[in-house]
Amino acid sequence: MTRDWLKHLVLIFGAIIVLAPFYMMVSYSFKSPGEIDRGEGGFFGRQEMMIDPRCVALRQPDRADIEAARSRFPNEDDAGVQEALLTETTAACAMRPVVFNYTKAFTEAPLIRYLLNGVVVTVSIFLIQIVVALPAAYALAKLKFWGREAVFGLVLFCLLIPVHAIALPLYIMLAKLGLTNTYAALVLPWTISVFGIFLMRQFFMTVPDDLIDAARMDGMSEFAIVWRVMLPTAIPALLAFAIFSIVAHWNDYFWPRIVVTGNRDLFTPPLGLREFKGDGDGSFFGPMMATATVIVTPLIVAFLIAQRRFIEGITLSGMK
Amino acid sequence: MAVLDADLQPLRKEENRQARTAWGLAAPALALMILILLVPVCVAIVLSFSNYALGNPGFDWVGVQNYERLFTRSTYEKMFIATFTYVVTVVPISVGLGLGAAMLVHSLGRIGDIYKTIYFLPVMATLLAMAIAWEFMLHPTIGMVNRTLAMACGTWMEAIAFFGNGCADGFPLWLRDRDYAIWVVCFIGIWQGFGFNMVLYLAGLTSVHRELYHAAEMDGARSAWERFRLVTWPALGPTTVFVVTISCIRAFQVFDTIEAFWPQGGGPNKSAYVMMFAIFEKGVQQNLIGIGSAITVLFLVFVMFLTLIQRWLVERKVHYG
Repeated sequence: MTRDWLKHLVLIFGAIIVLAPFYMMVSYSFKSPGEIDRGEGGFFGRQEMMIDPRCVALRQPDRADIEAARSRFPNEDDAGVQEALLTETTAACAMRPVVFNYTKAFTEAPLIRYLLNGVVVTVSIFLIQIVVALPAAYALAKLKFWGREAVFGLVLFCLLIPVHAIALPLYIMLAKLGLTNTYAALVLPWTISVFGIFLMRQFFMTVPDDLIDAARMDGMSEFAIVWRVMLPTAIPALLAFAIFSIVAHWNDYFWPRIVVTGNRDLFTPPLGLREFKGDGDGSFFGPMMATATVIVTPLIVAFLIAQRRFIEGITLSGMK
Repeated sequence: MAVLDADLQPLRKEENRQARTAWGLAAPALALMILILLVPVCVAIVLSFSNYALGNPGFDWVGVQNYERLFTRSTYEKMFIATFTYVVTVVPISVGLGLGAAMLVHSLGRIGDIYKTIYFLPVMATLLAMAIAWEFMLHPTIGMVNRTLAMACGTWMEAIAFFGNGCADGFPLWLRDRDYAIWVVCFIGIWQGFGFNMVLYLAGLTSVHRELYHAAEMDGARSAWERFRLVTWPALGPTTVFVVTISCIRAFQVFDTIEAFWPQGGGPNKSAYVMMFAIFEKGVQQNLIGIGSAITVLFLVFVMFLTLIQRWLVERKVHYG
């Protein structure tokens, strides 16, 4: 029993270090700039009303506003009306720090757009990977043809090449084709997943030949067999592969950083966060951490819900 | 003969048909594999002998000049030092911590699962976002790390040199200090990666047979260390080979943290100027494609070499111990 306590002690110490940046990220996304600067307010901050100085600056009452509001303050002179209007603006610009941080995260930059880009890119990558890899894996696993060994050898060789490593020549090729700063550039290099082919081939090897022969008897074409017989049997492997692929590409920063330059419409979530950091002047810690929280949350929540599947998917590469 | 041929013909036809469909099914994958993976490797090799630049009308062959620069200029010396420091630090520690955590978690049974979940979180989280979070934590004045360290001031811990100096002259600047920069990046690499290794080791541990431990005990392996040395470690041999290789390849590719902390220049005094960042800076930002390609080729050589060693070890079914 005492030994168990020691183990827990060590593991809890590790857990504190692992969780510290997550704690800080979420906590800062709740706090006001002042609380962040002074390091107070616990986890949630005190959530006192704060006034956004930029909001007040933008809504300075001008001549026309004062004229228009004169009827509401009949007993005041010009300066008095201005005073009253300023008080109203200030009141309108006051909000809880948590609201301030998260609204800023979504309004200061088109975060929704970035998130949608992220979804579009990761989902297209995954779907194309499947469309390309599945038939090839089936051919390699279940069809006899001249040159099969050579093709499989090529697959094994290509497993050695990490796409990030050949980013520079890929970038040059895309630039020559005039494709930088397009969705195509974000998706194209990842359309071929050699690992996906390899994995699916290994999986299809275990599917009994009888199943395929029966389908052939029914007059199915090989193409139909891939999608209507093999695909359904491969769902568990595909799910694991989906998680592997989606996590990798949602979190990828290197490749988007290379092919997307300046065009904000194409920014993926990590690029958006990076840009936020670039023009942050220090007082923007709260909204920035809110952005970070928004970007990190979807995968973390999905992971907590379907842990076993996620761990299976991410460690897929260990199943070789 | 004629009869036999007539019998075989439909069969051969069927075989031909199957071969054609097979090629048809594999064609898109094959084409993409060549275009996206093999052609770029060749392009990188060819361009590494040139002074090519995007937008220039022509280019010259410069022989091995790019490689010569890689091995003579001090910038690239720093690049190699930073890259290898990172790999050599992160790989053993993240593998060791992964194994240690896996053994502790495994021995605790079901309660251990909570730690598994926690330790795996950094693997799932967007590294760039977490790098920025770490940057705030390590902020010299308002960061959580230095504030926590400052709590030791005025206690007995000030007797330790590190705390004594810190309390007197301020704690390190971390990311702005060239003595600390690369180690901070290493720490974050370990923080992010060891959970992944832990999960792989956990999978390995569940496949170690209980009887093996009993057998070892019968043979006189009384202490926990003996049991580990005689049973666990050899049984985890294949897992270790894999974990080390994948950790190496991932460590070589470190980029997000470096770019997030130091968008220009790769750290104070280029102390964290790793290869991926060099490829990005030289090849993409400065349009020096020749030198960028040379680094790419070198990088590929390292990674392929590592993977080949791994495959060779796996094929030999190496068990340590």
